[in-house]
Amino acid sequence: MFRNNYDNDSVTFSPQGRIFQVEYAQEAVKQGSVVVGIVSKTHAVLAALKRNAEELSSYQKKIIPIDTHFGIALAGLASDARVLSNFMKQQSLASRLTYDRPIFLSEITSRIGDRAQTNTQQYGKRPYGVGLLIAGVDAKGPHLFEFQPSGVTQEMIACGIGARSQMARTYLERNLDEFEGSSREELIKHALCALKDSLSQDKELTIDNTSLGVGGIDENFKMYEGQDIAGWLETAFESKAEGEEGGEGMEVDS
Amino acid sequence: MNHNPQAWGRPRDDVYGAYNSQYLPQHHGGPSAHPTTHTQSPIVTGTSVIAIKYSTGVVIAADNLASYGSLARFTDVKRLKPFNRKAVVGFGGDVSDMQYLDRLLSSLDVQENYSHNNDDPEDTKALMSAKNLHTYLAKVMYKRRSDFNPLWNSLLICGLDEKNKPFLATADLLGTTYSAPTLATGFGAHLAQPLLRKAVPDEEASQKLDKETAVEVVRECMKVLFYRDARSMNEYSIAVVDEKGVELKEKEKLENQSWAFADQIRGYGTQTV
Amino acid sequence: MTSIGTGYDLSNSVFSPDGRNFQVEYAVKAVENGGTAIGIRCKDGVVLALEKLVSSKLLKKDANKRIATVDRHVGVVHSGLLPDGRHFVSRSRDEASSWRSTYKAPIPVSSLANRMGAYVQAYTLYSSVRPFGITAIVGGYDAETEVDVDGAVGSGPKSGSGGKSKGVKEGGPYLYMIEPSGLYWGYYGAATGKGRQSAKSELEKLKLDPKDGDCISLEEGVKEAARIIYVAHEDSKDKDFELEMTWISAVSGPTKGRHEEVPKELREEAERLAKKSLEGEDEDEEGKMEE
Repeated sequence: MFRNNYDNDSVTFSPQGRIFQVEYAQEAVKQGSVVVGIVSKTHAVLAALKRNAEELSSYQKKIIPIDTHFGIALAGLASDARVLSNFMKQQSLASRLTYDRPIFLSEITSRIGDRAQTNTQQYGKRPYGVGLLIAGVDAKGPHLFEFQPSGVTQEMIACGIGARSQMARTYLERNLDEFEGSSREELIKHALCALKDSLSQDKELTIDNTSLGVGGIDENFKMYEGQDIAGWLETAFESKAEGEEGGEGMEVDS
Repeated sequence: MNHNPQAWGRPRDDVYGAYNSQYLPQHHGGPSAHPTTHTQSPIVTGTSVIAIKYSTGVVIAADNLASYGSLARFTDVKRLKPFNRKAVVGFGGDVSDMQYLDRLLSSLDVQENYSHNNDDPEDTKALMSAKNLHTYLAKVMYKRRSDFNPLWNSLLICGLDEKNKPFLATADLLGTTYSAPTLATGFGAHLAQPLLRKAVPDEEASQKLDKETAVEVVRECMKVLFYRDARSMNEYSIAVVDEKGVELKEKEKLENQSWAFADQIRGYGTQTV
Repeated sequence: MTSIGTGYDLSNSVFSPDGRNFQVEYAVKAVENGGTAIGIRCKDGVVLALEKLVSSKLLKKDANKRIATVDRHVGVVHSGLLPDGRHFVSRSRDEASSWRSTYKAPIPVSSLANRMGAYVQAYTLYSSVRPFGITAIVGGYDAETEVDVDGAVGSGPKSGSGGKSKGVKEGGPYLYMIEPSGLYWGYYGAATGKGRQSAKSELEKLKLDPKDGDCISLEEGVKEAARIIYVAHEDSKDKDFELEMTWISAVSGPTKGRHEEVPKELREEAERLAKKSLEGEDEDEEGKMEE
């Protein structure tokens, strides 16, 4: 039933020095719907595509506000994300209680990274099956971190994880230079455009399947869903049509 | 059958007699000779710490004496501890508890520097502020008093807050905290505080005060404290914290003392009239 | 390899008939793919340097620091699985901090290396864990000057009980490298990761052994470290990389006994020289070809 002898658990190295169980856990992230994050000099934005099980069911939760200054977006096993987000909420509160200081994003990220690492080195545990984007603002400014099941954490300018996220990353790489100087609104539009690029042919962004999270300097992290994002969804792709990608923009109207 | 699971597998009392717990420590059922006790009083102590906020920073001072009761036991004890370039803590009360807190702060400083780069201006902005430090120390003091095992100190925590505004607050062995433009612990709360308040009656006045005047007021208070506090000495430490960092002097001597008032004092001592 | 298919390589802590623990050997493989990390023990300090391969354009530049501070005077650089490295660093910090709370003094680098060697070795002993997929280089400076006990007040006696003995010289720069097996040695120059072979041969050319006379200075060490990382990168030239460097000097030196990042100006100068020396080599080779 196994592909090879070395992928039964996370405490066995393959002869090449790989840990297959961890690599398989990374695959679980790719099963989740796409989420995107971008930072500018002043803001951090998360955008997520939500799935619903069936027509009449509700949509998933993809963005979780953790503290007033930051939130996370998840791709993969939502229940693993809940465990991690509860832990992050506790740690954030502890920092506020003992030091009266919002926890640094680098600090909270490395704490969940360390937790995830433990799961890859002990028998009887499994790696987390979820990838996270952690975005917000702390005393050192706006930040975006990526967390992977292996326990790897990286600070990014922009990032996309989840199903078909390669397309989102391509968009982000192409527009990388614009992000730093972007305004709040421009950044949100970029995030939505990146998200849109990763959609399959038959899908589009609607007020039901899209979530946004925005944090900024002197601005609390806030989640936007439903009618609140209608305006952005209407305008996000229009302005692009006039821009350098005129041809592609036209498709929005069809 | 004995239905109490704790008794299973043990020698039966009705056969062997009750277990003799005589040699065991108290928490395992041994004889209770004494109740658990904690510090009831400080041993080696430092006296007052005083501090005053001025327009762009804070001045803090404490003398260099550690007394053993009324004996002036150690005369080179530094009671002002700079935490980083934004915060200084002044310690009054038990000196060994001060040393414990100093080590606690030093381990906190090591932790803070795990991910700190002096080269990075963003990192410098995010330095732990005096306000953060005060919150932390207040929690430590309150936890210890709630365990009935207090750290026998009065602390003044001063420096700059997150917005680089002057910050001054106290925390003591009871876990009590408060903040004011001028603060003094111990004997200083009675002797120096009125003088400090005369210079700076309120927050508004402290924002108008310049550094030189603030230092002068504090030095004057140290002198008055030496005149009247029998647990004080004439060598002291003084620190100024502002945006430029901490400027700490640890071997200051009281100057221009005048004991002319001394023979006017009546009511205690050896005089009979 | 004879290991595969024997069944002796499927579980940690199991010896093969010829006395090998294959899982540890596989862990070493994980290290061999990581970016090159080096450490140089100079006359008056230690330099740690790392070739940080840039896996994505989207990564924030100069942000993801990988050389960690363990205690004021100790730094660690590692190559291999990143999260395992962080586990190692986190344990090192705990060891350094618990040493301080016991002895009221900073941990000597040798003691830290010893404790971490023991810790890493423990992960080769049980089938319930896997070995560390990293090799770590630990560098630090044990103070030569007398330091007060942590939390000391006043100066203490000059002589007699609790006084000081004269003429005893101790402390200095130290460098250790700890492998996935838990094995560790002290080094004058240490290298691990993908480019370790070329890095080692470059290190061997430096004057690092005090028996051969005066060793290179810390400033020279910084420049050599940058150059060696650039040389080691030649093998994986197609990938972008960032150079990360930290150093530790004596209390009297530029870092005042602390482990710190090499200042930007100095690092950039070292990188400029490194690039220049590589270009020089290329020209030489081209010159030879023409001849």
